[in-house]
Amino acid sequence: MTPRTRRILEFVLDNLVWFMLLVVLAAFSAFVPNYFQPGIFANIIEASSVLGVMSIGLALVIIAGHMDLSVESVAALSAMAVGIVFCTSGIGLGVTFTPEWLAVPVSLVLSLAVGAAVGLFNGILIVKVKMNAFIVTLASYIWVRGIVLAVSGGASAQGLAPVIRWFAIQRLLGLPLTAWIAIACFVVFSFIMAKTKFGRHLVMIGGNQNATYRAGIKVDRILITAFALAGGIAALAGWLLAIRTSGATANLGTGLLFNAFAAVVIGGVSLKGGLGALPGVYAGALLLSSINTAINLMGLPPTSTQVIHGLLVLAAVLLDTFKQTLRQRLA
Amino acid sequence: MKRILLSILGVLAVAMALLTPAFAQSKGKVYYLVPTLLDEFQTGSVSALETFLKQVGYELQTLNADNKTDVQQSQMNDVIALKPAAIILAAVDFNALQPSIEAAMGAGIPVVEFDRQITSTKSAFTSVAGTIEIGHIAADEAEKLLTAKNGSPKGKVLQILGDPGDPYTLDIQKGFEEKMAAFPDVKIISLPAMQWEASNAGTIAADQLVANPDIDLIFSHAAHLSVAVVAALEAAGKQPGDIMLMSSNGAPVGLDLIRKGWLNVEVEQPLYAQAAAVAAFMDKIVAKAEIKPGEYDIIGLNGVVTDEAWGPNIKLPGAAIDKSNVDDPKFWGNLKPPTDTVKSIE
Repeated sequence: MTPRTRRILEFVLDNLVWFMLLVVLAAFSAFVPNYFQPGIFANIIEASSVLGVMSIGLALVIIAGHMDLSVESVAALSAMAVGIVFCTSGIGLGVTFTPEWLAVPVSLVLSLAVGAAVGLFNGILIVKVKMNAFIVTLASYIWVRGIVLAVSGGASAQGLAPVIRWFAIQRLLGLPLTAWIAIACFVVFSFIMAKTKFGRHLVMIGGNQNATYRAGIKVDRILITAFALAGGIAALAGWLLAIRTSGATANLGTGLLFNAFAAVVIGGVSLKGGLGALPGVYAGALLLSSINTAINLMGLPPTSTQVIHGLLVLAAVLLDTFKQTLRQRLA
Repeated sequence: MKRILLSILGVLAVAMALLTPAFAQSKGKVYYLVPTLLDEFQTGSVSALETFLKQVGYELQTLNADNKTDVQQSQMNDVIALKPAAIILAAVDFNALQPSIEAAMGAGIPVVEFDRQITSTKSAFTSVAGTIEIGHIAADEAEKLLTAKNGSPKGKVLQILGDPGDPYTLDIQKGFEEKMAAFPDVKIISLPAMQWEASNAGTIAADQLVANPDIDLIFSHAAHLSVAVVAALEAAGKQPGDIMLMSSNGAPVGLDLIRKGWLNVEVEQPLYAQAAAVAAFMDKIVAKAEIKPGEYDIIGLNGVVTDEAWGPNIKLPGAAIDKSNVDDPKFWGNLKPPTDTVKSIE
């Protein structure tokens, strides 16, 4: 194999998920009626914004060698908190501010505070009390959703304040601002992971926690920060979800956890920790959203969609596994 | 130490003595197995049944199955062991609960089917609006709306189902489509909002609006799905009335959307009447007395009791809510429970 061929192959493998995305988009555009339209592509990007943001937090924790199963419930709690305070109908209290735009930062701070608090709680139990991350965050997945149910009584809040809904309606270059917020999150956190000490240390911890500790790096503090960040970022996803649906219901966000894991794995993050980059995760989220949109347009019987969805996700994950194998052979 | 223990035991004994008179006044405990509390109809049903059963002298205890069939089956087994006066069941899976219903009835515990009709085995009583009938009412309204817009029943309808594993939504779909089959010029696109999750409905609406911009009517199987659909329409620059909307179950969010001009029709399930019917007949159910077929006034609604293969069945009519009657307090979505006390039927 010539050096040039090797370089090309490595480039393709490093960005395989993006190539997969292009191939999938091309295939769907060719075979699914009405798929190849600017409006559909804009929908795909918009629909991936909540999942994409949620996947960032999950990826951080997985790269650090742990996992967080609570992200979906945290997003739901954040959405419900925003809904209850800022919605005008249902169980919404319709709180307003003067000037009106203050509702935006207040709602955001409320969301982030809720999420970061849950994340911090998870982090302390896992890092300081040395409990298993799977068990702790699984319990959080259950009790946090329970809080959503308890505070809402199963009822909905709808009619989100127009000043907050503005982010879903206002468009820039054909995309709603919620999509741009998701893109900005990926840019910021990709920079943090690639160019800052925190990001580098997180990867090192995921690769070998003991060695990182012995190198004098404050492993506990970094891990707790990662869990708090995961909670805060999941809450941001919840904020975007409330904006997208103009309110909140008790079961909002159900099913997102599986898709977030799929986006992270397809994006090239290793579940063993220590390996992965966030741009790939965004491509994974876009890929899942493309598949979802194709299913919406295919005209399949409603009872078949889940099977097709699962098989397509499996195919995407298998391709990623194939990439890992090829990489090992190249090495 | 001994004194402290004796004091604690004494307090407990007093507490138990205070509690037991409350149980002694009740005619008995009734268990309500609700499929989920993530839906306003179901949470509304809990408070309605609690209120009406208390009026006729029964105490209600609710267990939530969280949409899991195996959980509800376990709950049935546990409740049978407690030997309650009766069990009210809104089944997660209509067929999977059949053995549990037979076990309870075999143990002498009457089982009442609430809202979700189980026809494969005998129950003591069934109180329903009828999910297929809800689909029929929705089809009647769709016909009217399409005719008003297009001059005849023709056009394109986007039907957004709930979770495709839920027999409840499949029955509504069945009722809707079997009636709409009479109109060959109506094309129906049916897609499921997985796990009844609102943002999935929003995504479906957003995608279909691009792929099929000539959609005339969007029919969602629950009012909370319509909220996300409206959000998608708004984001696409639509105004109230640009596309006709309809949903079913009658939740408060649906009525709010009618008032705001987005939703044309909400097909209501008569929650209060369904719950009141259970309470009104509970004495007969517990006593295993005959329930005679006929018409009964249930809080102002005409309930028709018939003898079916699955036992006595009361059917209460669903209603189509629109702008002209949206504020009527009889609709449960206005959250104004009836003030008249429910009385046991003699």
